[in-house]
Amino acid sequence: TYSRSFELAKNTVSITYVDPDGEEITVDAEIGQNLLHVAHDNNVELEGACGAELACSTCHLIFEQDVFDKLPEMTEEEEDMLDLAFEVTDTSRLGCQILVREDFEGMKVQIPDDGF
Amino acid sequence: RRALDDDSSSAAAWKIAIVGSGPSGCYTGKYLLKSDAMANSQIDVLDRLPTPYGLVRNGVAPDHPEVKSVHHDFDSLFMKDGNEDNGQNLLNFYGNVTVGTDISLEELREIYDVVVLAYGCESVRPYDFIQNSKLEGILSAREFVSWYNGHVDYEWVGPLVEKALKRGSGQQQVVVIGHGNVALDCARILAKTREELDPTDIAARSLNIIDQQNRREISVIGRRGHVQAAFTIKEARELTRLDDANFVVRKDELDMGRTEASKQEINAARPRKRMEKLLTDAAAATSAMKNNTDDDDSQKKAAEVHLRFLLNPTSFETKDGSSLSHVTCERTRLVGDAGSQSAEGTGEMETIEAQLALVSIGYKGVAIPGTEEWYDDKRGILKNTHGLIEGSKEDLGGLYVSGWLKRGPSGIIGTNITDAKDTVASILHALKSSSPVDPKEGWKSIDETLKEKGINPVNWDGYRRIDAEERSPSRKRSELQPREKICSREEQLKAAFSS
Ligand SMILES: Cc1cc2nc3c(=O)[nH]c(=O)nc-3n(C[C@H](O)[C@H](O)[C@H](O)COP(=O)(O)OP(=O)(O)OC[C@H]3O[C@@H](n4cnc5c(N)ncnc54)[C@H](O)[C@@H]3O)c2cc1C
Ligand code: FES
Repeated sequence: TYSRSFELAKNTVSITYVDPDGEEITVDAEIGQNLLHVAHDNNVELEGACGAELACSTCHLIFEQDVFDKLPEMTEEEEDMLDLAFEVTDTSRLGCQILVREDFEGMKVQIPDDGF
Repeated sequence: RRALDDDSSSAAAWKIAIVGSGPSGCYTGKYLLKSDAMANSQIDVLDRLPTPYGLVRNGVAPDHPEVKSVHHDFDSLFMKDGNEDNGQNLLNFYGNVTVGTDISLEELREIYDVVVLAYGCESVRPYDFIQNSKLEGILSAREFVSWYNGHVDYEWVGPLVEKALKRGSGQQQVVVIGHGNVALDCARILAKTREELDPTDIAARSLNIIDQQNRREISVIGRRGHVQAAFTIKEARELTRLDDANFVVRKDELDMGRTEASKQEINAARPRKRMEKLLTDAAAATSAMKNNTDDDDSQKKAAEVHLRFLLNPTSFETKDGSSLSHVTCERTRLVGDAGSQSAEGTGEMETIEAQLALVSIGYKGVAIPGTEEWYDDKRGILKNTHGLIEGSKEDLGGLYVSGWLKRGPSGIIGTNITDAKDTVASILHALKSSSPVDPKEGWKSIDETLKEKGINPVNWDGYRRIDAEERSPSRKRSELQPREKICSREEQLKAAFSS
């Protein structure tokens, strides 16, 4: 029904971006929104040169192992771009490809250090 | 970590010029704008072209619109139109101004407290070590790429490409020399059908010439093996997905490249492992395809892209005394340790027929007048420490460098972000302990100076008029085409200054 979908659309979870300095920024993230968009909506410094077009790898994020394990599998295209990111780890993904889910509540995600 | 913002108490009215509006110029501007210390500053971005964004417009392949979309981010640094003035500091665009000829570097440094050189690589690494490199039908990849992207200075390339392709009567043969992404861009554009290229912003003048009249065979050759190749996997994978072109990889050449050292290189890095798999699969597909098509011509596709390894081009050959007929290559083998293997000649020769050769062995920076003392000819860069060019004259503004001119032509667009941050950190550090120079007597602003010289710069609104005209439906082939570029400087200026 109308009211139900309205509620769903407004649903948010609380997640924390950890910037390269170690500073934590906790934000309300709308379920279904991608993590690049959420960062920009909340003035979190995360580059996103291509604007979520899967063509730049500047939206690289590092996840906690248990969250990473639950994420949908990477497409070949995401993996191809991730290969070009700096400081890639075993739990790295491209932020613009990851949509916020209910079970992200309370998670921390690290913005990698690009040397600055 | 180096500081990228300072407290705004030191926000003086700095004047900063950035020479070049490619990714490095734009990112340098972006990170300067982010700093509180710049809150009261004027930051001008000069470019020799009437249009901004450097290689995003004139390098990145037309069939990579998703890469070109970085311009949205750059637009927002200059954008005034449609936006209420919300007090946000912006970059000012001065297109159609060539630094070094229209205005000297010294003049700029008298006007500005800081000058950042971000004018990229305006030349290529010389390739006259390959014999007969002046034959008709041989171009640098830079010339070819600039032409198909509608760069205003490369109209002359079209007739040469057309003539070369026409000489291939039964079959058009092209050799691309080099194993970077630019080489694969050239090969891919030549292997795509009109239908594939139609919805891109490839200039009509180029599409009509590139459009295949005959079967086309494109060989991309490199001296070293597949494990050492500089191209990245996205670009390699695209060659496996062309509408009407076969991708040919030879199993024996992959085998030759799998030295013990190469195996170590593969195992050391995940991207290498994935590339190894992609190319091994492609070679298997090649064998399967061969078995299928040997006795069945109907399965032949319009184009074939041969990715060849361990071949060193030694000379270009001609049959008619003036134009290219084939390329002679020497088979090489890998020697040396993992990470530093080089290609050594074996004496075994192979000739590849070709009417057109595109040499893609690297872009190279040049010294514009006034920068000669810092120019490193071997690397094609300006010598610097974290972007600071040392030995700056006392009475002139500080001199910095950013982007390809600072580190050489490598990396992806994103690489220019950290690179720009590094230069910006150096600038902010230096400005902390200085104050804007008091203008000398007779000091003139950039606008006054240009006016006096009779130079009419294209400002942001002027560029927006060019942009609007390029996007107008009356110019475009179809709704899907993002823009039909204006490919002459005169026409661009006409659009820019129309009201
Ligand atoms: C063919 C090609 C394809 C590429 N494709 C991709 C890709 O798909 N993805 C990716 O991530 N990266 C790609 N790159 C890399 C990317 O384009 C570069 O990293 C980036 O453009 C470098 O930025 P820059 O600002 O240093 O130089 P440039 O982009 O070259 O900008 C230099 C600017 O300076 C101006 N200029 C030159 N001389 C003067 C002067 N005397 N006075 C005033 N202005 C001047 C030029 O007109 C130009 O606008 C590609 C590069 C090439 C060559
Ligand atoms: S923003 Fe470019 S890949 Fe995510």
